Amino acid sequence: MAQTLAADMVSVAFEGLRALSDVTLEIPAGRVTGLIGPNGAGKTTCVNVLTGFQKPSMGRVLLDGQDIGGLPAHRVRQAGIARTFQSGRLFADLTVHENLEVTGVGLGLSRREASRKADALLDWIGIAPLSERLAGGLPYTDERRVAIGRALMLEPAFLLLDEPAAGMSAEEADDLSRLIHRIALEVKCGVLLIEHNIGLVLKTCHSIYVLDSGEIIEFGTPDAIKASEKVRHAYMGTQTDAEGEIL
Amino acid sequence: MAERASILSRTIATPVILGLLLTAIALLALLMGSGPFNQTIIDIFIRVILVVGLYIFIGNSGVISFGHIGFTCLGAYMTAWLTIPPPMKKMALPGLPGFVLEAKLPFWVGVPAAAIFAALIAFFFGKILMRLSGIAASIATFAMLALINQIYSNWEDVTGATSSVVGIPINRSIWPYFVATLVAVAIGYAYSISRSGLALRAARDEATAAAASGVDIPKERLRAFVISAFVMGGGGALYAHSVGVVTPDTFYLGLTFISLSMLVVGGMGSLSGAVIGVVLLSTIIQILRLFEKGVALGDTVLTIPNGVQEIAIGVIMIVILMRRPAGIIGNREVGWKGLRKA
Ligand SMILES: Nc1ncnc2c1ncn2[C@@H]1O[C@H](COP(=O)(O)OP(=O)(O)OP(=O)(O)O)[C@@H](O)[C@H]1O
Ligand SMILES: [Mg+2]
Repeated sequence: MAQTLAADMVSVAFEGLRALSDVTLEIPAGRVTGLIGPNGAGKTTCVNVLTGFQKPSMGRVLLDGQDIGGLPAHRVRQAGIARTFQSGRLFADLTVHENLEVTGVGLGLSRREASRKADALLDWIGIAPLSERLAGGLPYTDERRVAIGRALMLEPAFLLLDEPAAGMSAEEADDLSRLIHRIALEVKCGVLLIEHNIGLVLKTCHSIYVLDSGEIIEFGTPDAIKASEKVRHAYMGTQTDAEGEIL
Repeated sequence: MAERASILSRTIATPVILGLLLTAIALLALLMGSGPFNQTIIDIFIRVILVVGLYIFIGNSGVISFGHIGFTCLGAYMTAWLTIPPPMKKMALPGLPGFVLEAKLPFWVGVPAAAIFAALIAFFFGKILMRLSGIAASIATFAMLALINQIYSNWEDVTGATSSVVGIPINRSIWPYFVATLVAVAIGYAYSISRSGLALRAARDEATAAAASGVDIPKERLRAFVISAFVMGGGGALYAHSVGVVTPDTFYLGLTFISLSMLVVGGMGSLSGAVIGVVLLSTIIQILRLFEKGVALGDTVLTIPNGVQEIAIGVIMIVILMRRPAGIIGNREVGWKGLRKA
């Protein structure tokens, strides 16, 4: 299994707007890496670059040192880099079980094998009772967990989670934190966690990158990030005091 | 954890029930035993084949294709080229290659050959078209239909241009059409439970997420496109053998409209919808045709004006789209215990 996924001096420009400037970051296997930053900082753009949905204007995406920057999204997934979406994006007309099965099939399994893996994974995550429900009608928090399940099929080397706790209660966020730890420990995934829930990030991650206006302004352990003057500044500058206080 | 039953055992009821429905229709023809009614039943079978062909691509991919009747045209002419007696061919279509001019193949060779030919052409068109999505893809398929129609309407010594190509051996027995319809339904069912079918339905719901799940969307679309063209081409060939005559305009806007209507009315997202849509609309069309000719009710003959039939189909389609946007059957399939999720 691959050991590191990295962005190397990645820049992305949208018609003049620079969404990412010379971003360098590394996601090691078996650990949880955080990526935080105010709205519009470029976090999702970063995930898009790492997963083949956005070509970098400059720079490279490296999987164990190999440039995968030009691969289309489905090939990136086949190479073992999985993601979830900020907006869920489940296959609404398919059942929960089929949502997971699709990934198995996309990665080359027969339907029978994919179906078996999907059942095992639904069980592992603890959402087996949802199997036959249509994904379109799920409540928000279940939707998130199904999305993680779909991404986890066949144990990817890396899992990038784009705001998986959005809209969750404190208790649900705790459950999610535990699940993410199990994913890093038991599946040995390198996890990238993007979240606005800073408490969750500080509790869950081994190390954290801070992105502001497309640039990495800080990197360190949760304690170091908590203490960082720069980070405090970035958040105070663009967001409400309430969120500044969480830090 | 209980072992889940296989997809086949969970869904096989659908093709079995549809097969029984088609068998019932065939038996009805047998009971009636009259020539014109036989022809009506054959027409229904051919329409089922065409609409199932449409379902394979449109239903699973969610991309509306206006071009599939082009494959029907390709199939009809291919079997004409292969099965018309050589002396007639040499007169009417002298531009055909020598070995085709000499060929006098039976219809059971002509039909599969036509299906394969349509699939082959679909492969080349699809290589380009399947990169497009949404409305762009639909417009491009429409352009493909126009292109095929123009070629067949102008290639004088190979297609006879706009004049009728006659002399195609006619087969009036319902059985070959019945068997072909069962085969088409079986193909549609097999595709829908296949890996490709599942991946394509996922891409229909959420293309971005499907790509993030490892699905190569253009490749899966191409598979469905080629398989559906195979069915459409076979259906076109059977049409040719059911009436003995083809012209390019038989396979143009009119047939595109009616076959898409049947798919939409039944329910685009399901094989059962495709089959039931055809049976339902065909029945209505037959009844209206009867009235256009005039029906004696006691002493008075009730007649409705010509054209009411087309208008009625249009109205039915609009009403159903307003009431049930997903069609009569919706996104479900028939099962032993009623409808289940497709
Ligand atoms: N496809 C696009 N075209 C043009 N601009 C874009 C595009 N995608 C993102 N942007 C812009 O790039 C910047 C970064 O957006 P991005 O979605 O990466 O931010 P984010 O950090 O994920 O924000 P949020 O926390 O709100 O999700 C924003 O200014 C956004 O408007
Ligand atoms: Mg975002």
